[in-house]
Amino acid sequence: MDHLDLKLLRDLRALKSQVLAVALVMACGLAMMIMTRSLIRSLDAARDDYYARHRFGHVFSSLQRAPLEVADRLAAIPGVAAVEPGVARPVTLDLPGRLEPASGLIRSLPDRREPRLGRLFVRAGRLPEAQGGLEVAVSEAFAEANGLRPGARLAALLNGRRVELRVCGVALSPEYVFEAPPGAALPDNRTFGVFWMRETELAEAFNLKGAFDTVALALGPGADERAVIADVDRVLAPWGGLGAYGRGDHPSDTRVSDEIGVLRGLSFGFPLVFLSVAAFMTNAVLGRQIALQREQIAILKAFGFSDRAVALHFVKFALVIVLLGAALGAAGGWLLGRKLVVMYHLFFRFPALEFLPAWGALGAALAASTFAALAGALGVVRRVVRLTPAEAMRPEPPEDFRPSPLERLGPARRAGISVRMALRNLSRRPWRAALTVAALALATGILVVPNAFRDGIAHVLDFQWDALQRQTAIVAFNEEASPRALSDVRQLPGVTEAEPFRSVPVELSAGARTRRLAVQGLPANARLQRVIDSHQRPLAPAAHGLLMSKVLGESLGVAAGDTVMMRVLDGRRAEVAVRVAGFSEDFAGIAAHMELDALNRLIGEGDRVSGVFVVVASARWPDFLRAVKETPAASRVVIKEAMRRSFRETTAQSIGLIQTIYLVFATTVAFGIVYNSARISLSERQRELATLRVLGFGRGEVAGVLVAELVLLALVALPAGLLVGSGFAKTILAAVNTETVRLPLVLTAANYAFAASVVAAATALSLWFACRRLDRLDLVGVLKARD
Amino acid sequence: MVSADAVFEVRGLGKTYGSGPSAVHALKGVDLDLFAGELVVLLGASGSGKSTLLNLLGGLDLPSAGRLTYRGWDLAGADEAGLTRYRRDVVGFVFQFYNLIPSLTARENVALITEIARDPMAPEEALKLVGLEARMDHFPAQLSGGEQQRVAIARAIAKRPQVLLCDEPTGALDLKTGMIVLEAIERINRELGTLTAIITHNAVIADMADRVLHLSDGRLDREHRNDRRAAVDALAW
Repeated sequence: MDHLDLKLLRDLRALKSQVLAVALVMACGLAMMIMTRSLIRSLDAARDDYYARHRFGHVFSSLQRAPLEVADRLAAIPGVAAVEPGVARPVTLDLPGRLEPASGLIRSLPDRREPRLGRLFVRAGRLPEAQGGLEVAVSEAFAEANGLRPGARLAALLNGRRVELRVCGVALSPEYVFEAPPGAALPDNRTFGVFWMRETELAEAFNLKGAFDTVALALGPGADERAVIADVDRVLAPWGGLGAYGRGDHPSDTRVSDEIGVLRGLSFGFPLVFLSVAAFMTNAVLGRQIALQREQIAILKAFGFSDRAVALHFVKFALVIVLLGAALGAAGGWLLGRKLVVMYHLFFRFPALEFLPAWGALGAALAASTFAALAGALGVVRRVVRLTPAEAMRPEPPEDFRPSPLERLGPARRAGISVRMALRNLSRRPWRAALTVAALALATGILVVPNAFRDGIAHVLDFQWDALQRQTAIVAFNEEASPRALSDVRQLPGVTEAEPFRSVPVELSAGARTRRLAVQGLPANARLQRVIDSHQRPLAPAAHGLLMSKVLGESLGVAAGDTVMMRVLDGRRAEVAVRVAGFSEDFAGIAAHMELDALNRLIGEGDRVSGVFVVVASARWPDFLRAVKETPAASRVVIKEAMRRSFRETTAQSIGLIQTIYLVFATTVAFGIVYNSARISLSERQRELATLRVLGFGRGEVAGVLVAELVLLALVALPAGLLVGSGFAKTILAAVNTETVRLPLVLTAANYAFAASVVAAATALSLWFACRRLDRLDLVGVLKARD
Repeated sequence: MVSADAVFEVRGLGKTYGSGPSAVHALKGVDLDLFAGELVVLLGASGSGKSTLLNLLGGLDLPSAGRLTYRGWDLAGADEAGLTRYRRDVVGFVFQFYNLIPSLTARENVALITEIARDPMAPEEALKLVGLEARMDHFPAQLSGGEQQRVAIARAIAKRPQVLLCDEPTGALDLKTGMIVLEAIERINRELGTLTAIITHNAVIADMADRVLHLSDGRLDREHRNDRRAAVDALAW
């Protein structure tokens, strides 16, 4: 080590807290980069490995029922490499020790062979025996949430018949990495699960022997997915095919892909912002260092050190910060990534989701932060090179001030002297002020995001469950039933109100655009399940037209009064023209409603109902639950409060962790930038502050002069940050929202107050730290020295 | 003009920086009385202890030994808050390098002090006393060295201090400008009756004093009293 490096080490030690502040801000950006890249790598690897080993299909379809021979016709479609037909049916469960019924999907496993597609991973126990007598494997998430182990027994209603199922194993399927009831935004593992049973047993229970109602297909290399989907639809049309779809529309796979997409966005955006702030801080620290070392630089140059050697000396200073930031960032990213992988367990189930650190990203992170630090050092180093020894020996000329532009406006003219000093200092270095404001605004802004998510979810849940769903529970039937089933439900104990609904799978088309969904038929005077417009006013289901959710209208490109074609996907495949009666607000995504009788007339199968919304007197709730478990026609019971509770828990856990991370990052940036600015300002104005002390200003008064500037900046930054944060929240929500999950932008005063007070507290704390240095101000020494 | 009441009573005053073998004994037992209204010049070579003595008189530092009182107020035993109050209420300082606040105009630099003083004069009045009424709204960077030093004097006297302490007030100035500054100081002393102490290594300045104290090696070597204070323009440069 040469002596210039020794000087570097000592300079670094003297500025250790400032170096650490810059390195920490840099580390936040790098940690985010390494964490997100590692999570993408982990999810990608887990998914690819799982899909390949367990043969996840490429194209999927549900249908009413078709004889198994139809599967051979599917296998003959060009490009199809394998076909796995099966049975998938809803099931209601009566769990031991639980009052509420749970529901789920029960799926078939081939009797004596491994499935060609969608093979199970067995976590515990074994797969059901072919003649095992009602053995089932249970999905892991449901088993965990309900404490089910191999050997457990559960009562179930299979096609209206009460049977006792034996749990023989706990399993996972690539089709249910994300395991949630159809259409739900978040999993509810306590009340919804997937079960697997041997084919013959299941087919017998549902009278589906020699038939199938669901199918998965694998494609050969180079196959055209869209062509295959069209062929599958053609083959299955006579059998009530509900429309084939590829992995891109698979309810489980899209959720994993969406998450990876969000991570990709964060892995770029976040580090960019943090590294920009770090570059600015590097620039400020080095700039001050060079101002303080003018004479030293002159001496070095006068004694023959080259410009290059002196410039390199300061570049090294920046590089040490990079190395420190990278080390801290890598460690932070690794730790956070490991924690978040565990959180993914709440949503995604893989045989193994190992944390795979993306060390490759460390290279990119190092390159990015080196670039940021050098960008910050560039202007400063140029100043070093330009400085001639003779010029450097002279003290810097006194700083030239003028009244700040604000003072000319009027009110500031009457401001106190310390405010005027602050304003003039700021207007002398407008860029520094602007960047400090930007960094503080950024810190405030990132704090707004997680709470906006939480409030958005809360709003949707309240809206969905208080404004729209006014029932206590939904009882869904196995098959579409006659209106008599409605009166049966009305007879259940405790039921004070009951309203029927019908759900019909259809394809809507307007010009070339088509959407598949279930149209819901509701009574004209529906009270328990409401349709609401964007002003929360109830809309009556139209007798001669469809009420569409806004997303559906946008997706089809139609306006009120337009006509769309509606093709019924089950039964007779009737196709009718329907008018768009209006648009409704529905955060659950695409939805369409119609008056129940009109819908029944349109389809022409007489009066049918798919289920009943009920209100149950709370005193008789247990009786109701007991009775509904025994009702053969009921295939699924959804209890509003249970679902709400489970959603709350899941969001609290996941958002809680994310919020902690954002909180740490925001505090670090706010603290780092304010501390650094205060230290630089303290160094630059040492003489001024010492003079004030000598002239009789108290310690607090001098501290006031030092902090006035930063407090003014914070006062500008906080409201700006709330605006920036609102923009972040809007952008991130737009990126996260899909057709099925649509979070509204909800920005509350509490959210703003939280973000602003965290940054204000971090600012205050760092100012306090910086002001402690005022005590060490050497009054006499500073005044004797020449600037 | 010079009254018999001792404003400062200094007995056995000592100041040591550091400890052990590296200790520096800057003052070694100084005995001294300073009286109201007198103009005192402290002469001495570099390292003689004159600045240390001035810092102690000004409440910028605490002595290591001895007694130091201002009108009976024990400065040797004062705490930080006490010294701040003393500096705020009693002392005006003028330094070699002016130490103006660069972001404030001449008027504002003075107003900064009048805002916290108990019975100040108007900043404009103070600036008029040093002949700067025409330059009041200029920033330090727009003023010459002599003008900056006169702003510093205006700042020091605007609070009507009992004591004015000047540390090499002309050290950074050329002869002509230095004379203007000294005239300003002398006028303040004469018109306001402020006890004034000037540090200098320029022996010529001693002729304008009532009393001259010679320091050497941390001790008060000798002192002499001028029969008559010389006018500044009569100093034999």
